[in-house]
Amino acid sequence: MADGNDKTLLDWDALEVGETFEKYDYVLTQEMIDTFRKGVMDPEASFPTISHKVDVKQYNAKYRDNGSVNARGAFYCYSPPKAGSKLTVTAWIADKYLRRGKNYIVTEAISVDEEGRLIDRVITHELKQPSEVGKKWGG
Amino acid sequence: MGRVTRNYEVDDEIPPLTKSMTQEAINLFEGSAGETGPSQFTDQDTARETLGTEGTVASGRMSLTFAIEMLRRYFGADVFNRTGSVDLRFLRPVRPGDTITFQGRITGVSREANGSRVSAEITVVNQNGNTTGAGTGSVVVPNAFLPADE
Repeated sequence: MADGNDKTLLDWDALEVGETFEKYDYVLTQEMIDTFRKGVMDPEASFPTISHKVDVKQYNAKYRDNGSVNARGAFYCYSPPKAGSKLTVTAWIADKYLRRGKNYIVTEAISVDEEGRLIDRVITHELKQPSEVGKKWGG
Repeated sequence: MGRVTRNYEVDDEIPPLTKSMTQEAINLFEGSAGETGPSQFTDQDTARETLGTEGTVASGRMSLTFAIEMLRRYFGADVFNRTGSVDLRFLRPVRPGDTITFQGRITGVSREANGSRVSAEITVVNQNGNTTGAGTGSVVVPNAFLPADE
């Protein structure tokens, strides 16, 4: 069921664990690295890829939903990416689960540079009813 | 501060890391990936509509980044940037104006083929004493970065 933006409304029950999205590339620029380091207040921060949210980018390009809140995140460091390198991302649906009546999806991605170096791996658990969390958090 | 050589023992405390969250920092984090549109992180109206909160919140990925920084500083970049990992649950929102402190403690040291795996627990506490995050970290420290056996 695609809308005008060619996005499919998320059907959590139908979502298949293991669904792998189309690979995509981007170039990590020095400006991206500098801005990231300013934002995290760490001039030596080595994995600016974190802010690119690469595990959910292709999911968000394919599906539409009511938004999400991150419930859990994991990050594995393998090789700090260099400025100017082209990174190729492979992302997939790693898991989904129902907890306390709320739907979660787990996305996972690996990034590799043009020389074939494994850069990092990221896993994110997203709660797909974000307004529920807002009620709990209050204002 | 790349190379660190030290012994690791269970219950060793990892030096804490404190960060003061600002909207500017959140905007820079989000903008560093080229995301310039309004989101629950950068725009109050979007946060209200999506989350039902009065204001913006910081992405959990920022807390993940800070936890990585704490462990990188302790284990050294030469080690942590190659074999380190963090797994963090986001328990409460971190908002602009919050001060959050990351704390860590070694929970396990075990020998592996390529060095010693050192595991740690991580907690994140805000200025009100509330836990905003909790999880674990892990790193494989190569033998070359451990003190020589007696």
